[in-house]
Amino acid sequence: MIPAILTGIRLHMKQASRNPFDLSGVIVWPILYATIASYLLDARHEPRLLLSASLGASVMLMWSLVVIASSGALEQQRWQGTLELVVAAPTPLTAVIAPICVAGALVGTYAIGATLAWGALLFDVPVKIDQPLAFAVGVPACALAVGMLGLILAATFVLYRAAFHLGIATQYPVWIVTGLLVPISLLPSFVRPISWLLAPTWGFRAIQEAALGRTPWPDIGMCFVLSAVYLVIGGSCLVAFEYVARSRGSLRLT
Amino acid sequence: MAVIEVEGLTRSYRSRTGTFRRRIAVVEALRGVSFSVEPGELFGLLGPNGAGKTTMIKVLTTLLLPTSGSARVLDYDVRRQARHIRGRIGYVFGGDRGLYDRLSALDNLRYFADLYRVPPRKRVARIESLLEMVELKGRERERVETYSRGMKQRLHIARGLLHDPEILFLDEPTIGLDPLGARELRQTISGLHDAGKTIVLTTHYMYEADALCQRIAVIANGSFVATGTPSDLKAVVGDHTIIEIETFGIPDQLIERLRTIPGVRSIGVETRDLAQVLLVQSAVGADVVRSLLNELVDVQTGKVVTREPTLEDAYVELVKSA
Repeated sequence: MIPAILTGIRLHMKQASRNPFDLSGVIVWPILYATIASYLLDARHEPRLLLSASLGASVMLMWSLVVIASSGALEQQRWQGTLELVVAAPTPLTAVIAPICVAGALVGTYAIGATLAWGALLFDVPVKIDQPLAFAVGVPACALAVGMLGLILAATFVLYRAAFHLGIATQYPVWIVTGLLVPISLLPSFVRPISWLLAPTWGFRAIQEAALGRTPWPDIGMCFVLSAVYLVIGGSCLVAFEYVARSRGSLRLT
Repeated sequence: MAVIEVEGLTRSYRSRTGTFRRRIAVVEALRGVSFSVEPGELFGLLGPNGAGKTTMIKVLTTLLLPTSGSARVLDYDVRRQARHIRGRIGYVFGGDRGLYDRLSALDNLRYFADLYRVPPRKRVARIESLLEMVELKGRERERVETYSRGMKQRLHIARGLLHDPEILFLDEPTIGLDPLGARELRQTISGLHDAGKTIVLTTHYMYEADALCQRIAVIANGSFVATGTPSDLKAVVGDHTIIEIETFGIPDQLIERLRTIPGVRSIGVETRDLAQVLLVQSAVGADVVRSLLNELVDVQTGKVVTREPTLEDAYVELVKSA
C-alpha cells in the first residue's frame, strides 16, 4: 500500500502541475492572501500581528488548496473515468484518495512560504521565525492534519456527484471558525468546541506559536493526533460510502 | 470448476424525477440472469445498447452490487468478498476515458501497477513487456492526451493486464476504433485467449463475437434470450433463408403487408444511404421472392440477394422475439 500512496502523491502533484489554469492560481493566490493579511486586517503598524495575520492567511490558502485538490481531483476522476478503475483495484480506496489530499496540502506548504515571501516583498511583513525547528516541524504537521481533514470531505465526493460545490462552500466557514480570519476569542463561545475539532485551528496555532517564540509543541502534537483521528474517520467513511456508491451505481458520471 | 457462476441475478436502478412532486422510477437492468464461465473460455455477451451487458460486467467486477441473486467470481462472492476478487481480475472498457490524460503512459502504468500490488522488482519488466505487446514501446513517455483513440485503447489493455489477472473483462473494447485498430485489438484479444486467459467480452459487433467467442450469450431487456456457441446460435435461424431487397421510399403500410405473405417469418429494415434494405427471413424452400416482388411492383427496387443466415440474423431474430 505504501508504494501506491507515494506514487499517488507524486503523480497527483505532477498532474496538477500540468494544468496551466491550476498553476496560475497557485502563483496568484498567495499575492491575494498576502494582501488580505496586510490590508483587510489592517495590521500594518504592528509587525508581530502582521506576521500572525500572514500566517493565518497562508493557512486559509492551504485549506482552500486541499478542498480544491480533493473535491476537484475526484470530480475530475469521475469525468475521466478513472474513479471506477481505482475503486476496482485491490488497494483500499483510502490509499487512493489520501494521496490526493496530501498532494493538495503539500502545495499548501509551498503556499505558506509564498504568502510570507510576497508579504515581505510587497507589504514589509517581518518574516522572523523565533523557533525555526518547531516551525519546520509545525508546517508539515499542519499540512498533514489539514490534508487528512480533506480526506473526510473527499469521502462524500465518492458518494455525491455534485459534492464539489459542497466542498467549495466549506472553505469560508472553516476560515472563520478556526480563527484564521479573526481570533477565536472574538467568536461566540459555542463555536469554540467546533474549532477544537478542526485541524486548521491547531495547525495555525502551531506555526504561529513557533514563529512568535511561544509554546508550539502541544499544538503540533494535536495536529498529529487529529491526523490519526481523521484518517480513521475518513477511511471508515470511504469504506461505507464506497459500498453505498456500489449499491446506487453512482461511481460513474455518465 | 467454473470461474464465474451467476444464479438468478437481478440488478435494478432507482432514479428520481420531478422537483416538487418527486417520483421514483425503477429500471430493471438485469432480470434473473444465470450462467457460468469455464477456465480459459472466451465468453461473449452480445446485446443492443441498454440491454444490460455493462451492468453485468460491473456486477462481476465488483463495481455494482446485485439487487438479488448471487454471483461468484473465482469462488468469491461479489457482494461480500470484493477485495479478494479485485486483485485477480482485470477490467478494460472501451472509449478514450479511464486514463490520466496529462500523465505519460509510463506514469499511468506505474500507478496502476502499484494499485494492483505488482512487486517493485517485477514492475519494470512487466511494463516493458506489455508496452511491447500493445506496440506502444518508444511512445511510453508521451502524454496520453496526445495519443490516438487506438493507442489509448491499447494502453487500456496493457493496464488491465499489469497484474496478470486470471480473468479479463473487456467491455466493448473496440468501440470507436477504426477498422484497422479494431482488427489489431481483436488479434491481441485472440492472442490472450490462446495463452490461456479467461476472457469475458461484451460487444454489439456480430463479426467480433463470431470471430472471437467460444460461447455467446445474447442479452436483451436484462434477460438472456439464448446461450451457446456461434454455430448453436446460427442454428436458431438455420432453417431460414435471408432475402435482401433494396427498395427506395417504401411506405410502412406496405412493409406490414409484406409481413403477412405466407412463408415470411420476419422482416427487418436497414437504411443504407438512400435505400431501405428489407431483410426478409423465410423458411428454407419457401418461394416467397415472387410474392414479395409482386407486392413491390409500385416501389422502386434495386438489388435482390438470397443468402445463408449469419450470426447477425440469428441475433436480430433472438432480440426481436425477446
